[in-house]
Amino acid sequence: MDARSIIYGETALDKLVQWLRATGEPQDLEVVVQRYLEILRELVVEEQP
Amino acid sequence: MSAPIFAGTPEQQALASEIFRLMSAQGALFAADAPIKQTLSNLTDFLAAQRKREREAMAHEIDAALRANDQVFARQEDTETREIIYITSRLGVYPTRREDTSHTFKQRLYEPDEPLPVDDISVVVSTSRPALTTVEPVFISDYWQQQAGMVSFPLRSTSASTGDFDVQELEQDRESEVPVLDTDKDTPVEPVVSPDVALDDLLPADLVAQDLPAQAVSSEIRTTVPPVEITNQELMSDIEEVVPGPAEPLVAEADEGITADRLVSEDRVDIVDVDAIPAVPAMTPSESVVEGSDEVVQADEIDEIDEIDKIALEDTEPIAPPAIFTLPDGTAIDLQQPVSKLMATHRVILEEALINRIDQDPLQRIVHFGRDLYTDADKINLGKNDLRRIRDYILEIGEPVLDTAIIADLYHSHRQSTTESFRFSLNYRLHREKEFEFVGVAGACLWSTRGLPFIGTKRVKASEMGHLTSYLVEGYDDSLEQQHGAQINEEGIVNRQITFFEWEHGILPLDASLATLLPQPLLSEQRSVVLRFDVPQHYTSYLVEVRYPTGNRGGWLQGLEDFFHEHLVAGAIIKLARTEEPHVFTLTYEESGVRSDRLLTFDDKKNKFVFANLSYECAVDSEQLLSQRKFGKLKNLKALPTPDRRKADFVLAHVFEVVGEQLGTRNDPLYWLSLDDLYVAYNVLRPASRPYIESLLAADAMYAPDEATPGAYYYKPVPEVEEIEEEEDTDVLVYDDDDEY
Repeated sequence: MDARSIIYGETALDKLVQWLRATGEPQDLEVVVQRYLEILRELVVEEQP
Repeated sequence: MSAPIFAGTPEQQALASEIFRLMSAQGALFAADAPIKQTLSNLTDFLAAQRKREREAMAHEIDAALRANDQVFARQEDTETREIIYITSRLGVYPTRREDTSHTFKQRLYEPDEPLPVDDISVVVSTSRPALTTVEPVFISDYWQQQAGMVSFPLRSTSASTGDFDVQELEQDRESEVPVLDTDKDTPVEPVVSPDVALDDLLPADLVAQDLPAQAVSSEIRTTVPPVEITNQELMSDIEEVVPGPAEPLVAEADEGITADRLVSEDRVDIVDVDAIPAVPAMTPSESVVEGSDEVVQADEIDEIDEIDKIALEDTEPIAPPAIFTLPDGTAIDLQQPVSKLMATHRVILEEALINRIDQDPLQRIVHFGRDLYTDADKINLGKNDLRRIRDYILEIGEPVLDTAIIADLYHSHRQSTTESFRFSLNYRLHREKEFEFVGVAGACLWSTRGLPFIGTKRVKASEMGHLTSYLVEGYDDSLEQQHGAQINEEGIVNRQITFFEWEHGILPLDASLATLLPQPLLSEQRSVVLRFDVPQHYTSYLVEVRYPTGNRGGWLQGLEDFFHEHLVAGAIIKLARTEEPHVFTLTYEESGVRSDRLLTFDDKKNKFVFANLSYECAVDSEQLLSQRKFGKLKNLKALPTPDRRKADFVLAHVFEVVGEQLGTRNDPLYWLSLDDLYVAYNVLRPASRPYIESLLAADAMYAPDEATPGAYYYKPVPEVEEIEEEEDTDVLVYDDDDEY
């Protein structure tokens, strides 16, 4: 995925929701942002050849 | 369902019919062909008792009757209990059950009636290889690569303009730089052919990936270069010939062969299958000497050549696209960096941006309260009855209540009451209701509702207090000069002297020192927080409302009026300290012996300042103590109405006129007052800091510092000009022409 096409807070938000549901309880904003960056990173960096 | 026809004597038919009726009733809910079983002993017991017959005779009659109707009643004998069992069904006949194995699901699954033909197996398993996704290389001009210092010399294998592979250029390069084997020599050593060395393997990967005409080139080169045969000596001499000049001599000892790898690595377009040269002596790895030459090539230099070639090859490889995206405010975020580093650098911006986006999500998949985020689908919904119960509970308690207390008292039996998700759901729901107000801090979610007792004094309106404390947000806050913020954070203690205004109204301006000590509001739109100040010296506690600054209005604490009046006087020093609870603080003061003095107070009924006898046992600063002996003039201060009290310059002039020493005359007044006394007297009417008062003094030309006495000021008001009404005598000025004439 091209990083330039990322819309922060919109791209892969469904994955973030999925993770948040899996945790089973509310999470702190910092933890959520950290996890969201990891999700975006997986989308962009790890998909590069 | 028709009854079966029974055989035998009329008595037997009647008996069989009755037994069939009994057994049909027994299996009334059975399937029509389901077996209905009954033992002979049971039938005998029932019928013998009904007909009052002997059991033996009855058993014989039953058995005889049912034997006569064996098409209806199947007869079995239990081998273990020797019990005779009759079996029938509601159909009147008992068919022996047979298992139907003519067709099974298993059979239908593995042996379909219409199996797919073998040719159509591709429908299930694709035999074609899926297209591999290839990343197109990004071509960067040689010029720019050199400018950026990415390469030390221009690439030779690609055309600068188009990137196409140039065959002639390649051949020229080979002739100019590559050790070329002289095919004219005829001394045979071993045929050396290179049909297997594909040029593709030697070309940069991107050229191959671009599907450029490199393959055609390589095949052409293969065909144009015939197999050659060379000897060792020829090889050595050829190498000597092609070694470029003395600056970079490539030499080899005759007794140590040139390694195949070396020969290949130095020549990217070498077409010699060097693996097929076993007789060629290997070159020493460290240094090689050419016969008859003193020049020595160090291994480092050879490695340098390798490095250059390696860089050239690497530079032609596709460059990974940057993983940079931009936030709405333009901040670039590089995902190639570790997440921890990104968080350390851009945490605040990332958090704000994510919250803003989540709020704009039309599906509202994620909801948040404070810093906690949760999915909307997983939060627990609370109904109107829940809200009514919670509101009644808060009103019953009579003060703001923690969310944990609400859950413990109202939802202690709730199966999810202990989970964080329920706590989040409660706070999130109450936050969305207008009748509830969040007055908590991080770690202590306090909820208030309409109808609770007011905290603080009503004598000063909130709007007026915001105005009176605006000097704090205008840069005249000197509270951190005596106690640094770092020290407050470390110790969690603030020492503070209270002024008359603070004592009278139970209000503390929220200056920088208190703002450092007290917690910040949890929600962005939160305007107040309710804290509990425990007074261990008197085993009491007070609810204190913290009003935070908004815009150009300052903040303050209110609710300490009773404590101040009961235990302190103006000038006392109090100490505020944190506790383990984020919303609980301790309020203490230094005690001293009981003293009594005539101190300034405010008489509400007379609406004026008076001196009254007060006893106190707190330590005070004698300079700040408003005793009648020192500040006797203060009783003449006017309890200014709100509009006048808002005018800082008006209050300043009034204080000078009342408290200051009159040095002039009545017609030409001149007042003198020290800044210390001015500060004390000014803080009787409204809160102010010394820098703020000094700024007022400096801003008006009517105030001038006393050069002879540092820290003292003169106030020379402008004499009031009596307005003389000009009586316009219209009778004099205006005349009628008719009168004159």
